[in-house]
Amino acid sequence: MSDFIIETSQLTKSFKGHPALRGLDLRVPVGSIFGFLGRNGAGKTTTIKTLMGLLRSDSGSALVFGISVQDEKRSVDIRRRIGFVTEDKELYPYMTVEQIIRFTRPFFPKWRDDLERRYLRMFELPPAKKIPDLSKGTRSKLMLLLAIARGAELLILDEPTDGLDPAATEDVLRELVAVAASEGTTMFFSSHQLGEVETIADQIAIIDQGKTIVAGSLDDLKARYQRITVVFGELAQAPARWVEGVESVREEGRMVSILASNNVEAIVEQARSIPGAAVERFPVTLKEIFLEHVRSN
Amino acid sequence: MLWYKGWLETRFRLVLVLVVVALLILTQSNGSAKADVRGVIFIAGMSVWLQCIFLAAAGIVTQQSLQAAKGLHGSTLFTLTLPVSRFRLLAVRAGLGWLEMAGGIGTICCLLWFLFPVIRSSATPQEMAQFAAVLMVCGSAFYCITVLLATVLDDLWRVWGSLLCYGALGWLANKIPAPAAVNLFQAMSDRSPLLTHRMPWTAMAFALGLAAALFFAALKVVQIREY
Repeated sequence: MSDFIIETSQLTKSFKGHPALRGLDLRVPVGSIFGFLGRNGAGKTTTIKTLMGLLRSDSGSALVFGISVQDEKRSVDIRRRIGFVTEDKELYPYMTVEQIIRFTRPFFPKWRDDLERRYLRMFELPPAKKIPDLSKGTRSKLMLLLAIARGAELLILDEPTDGLDPAATEDVLRELVAVAASEGTTMFFSSHQLGEVETIADQIAIIDQGKTIVAGSLDDLKARYQRITVVFGELAQAPARWVEGVESVREEGRMVSILASNNVEAIVEQARSIPGAAVERFPVTLKEIFLEHVRSN
Repeated sequence: MLWYKGWLETRFRLVLVLVVVALLILTQSNGSAKADVRGVIFIAGMSVWLQCIFLAAAGIVTQQSLQAAKGLHGSTLFTLTLPVSRFRLLAVRAGLGWLEMAGGIGTICCLLWFLFPVIRSSATPQEMAQFAAVLMVCGSAFYCITVLLATVLDDLWRVWGSLLCYGALGWLANKIPAPAAVNLFQAMSDRSPLLTHRMPWTAMAFALGLAAALFFAALKVVQIREY
């Protein structure tokens, strides 16, 4: 049994000659909360649709639960073990909340009545209300209930907190973490809200132009990256060339801001060797790491 | 539950289709004293055609179509990501539509029986039931044309495509009549039990084979489609 619940290798996909995925490599560890990040058009939705069997890759492989997503006969088994929340949160307009729960339940033998009751109550979902009459935020919560209550081993969530107010977002994120911890569910979610990802994810991947550009443990990435600011004295100048490990340098008058991805101590030492320079180190946020990589890509 | 979902989607449209067809028959029945059996059969045949077109127009076959239309409706995404094969999704959708068409045909035949005395005087109830069965079986081939068209045409072209197709078929049937044994138009009219007092078994078998082939083609389209 693999340690990875999702594995893609050199996944490529084009639409009418336009490449959406260009050899995507991805590994999602079992039991992780995995943040899948990228700009608009980076290939996130294409990746998710490929994993769900809605698209066929041009080349490469994609395994979910060790099963190829191209295996049509077994693709039903894959989907029986996945809870999926779509980006647009659209559901059947002719059903009520109660009807769609009753409709969805029989497809999943591991359906959890206790989680259904819990989230009906917690999310304050009105059973008799028609789905089109629900706000976008409430529909998001309903979709989360439908995904979580099916007892899935893997949750694939596309912008799960889209449309939610801050308080509801807080509740949802807390519940997602609780589900991951108590049920051992792996969570693979795509989001533009980097702050939220930073709050709950333990693994991330950043993709851009259809390729993975950064992947790994979020803690390791944040430990590896540091921001170093150097304020120069009147006669001092920045070195012509910095030692290895500098991702980017931004100059603002007499101050230089350096984003370092490794070899931090050597960079700091080089900065301190400049006469009259004041050097400080700061931790970086996920947003800074994200912006740095997508801009430089 | 797929049947339940399909029924929720289509029940009001089914009622609308039946009301329109019933009104058509009722307006024709005003001249029922002058109607002959062939005229009644023509009305029945037209009603079946109208049902197929309305089914396409109302999206009964493909409400939340299994086709890769631009601007795919999000709830279709929800359906496609359920642990159900595309075969089952299509089979349930098409099966429900066929049952609704069959129910419509049964209703039409009952209306014809009660509204047109010429039918009651020239045919037995059993022959009327046989005529209904012929319409259902032969109508299946035309219905499956609708199913196939719905998997390849988007919302805008679904109705017009169906209309064009049926029009072309009707024109072809006049210009190049198929052999009598497999002529579905004749089986539903001149060679129907109401006139010949015999079942057109060969034509019915041909219709079932054609319907199966069209459904299989629709299935292949759905299975290879990307969404």
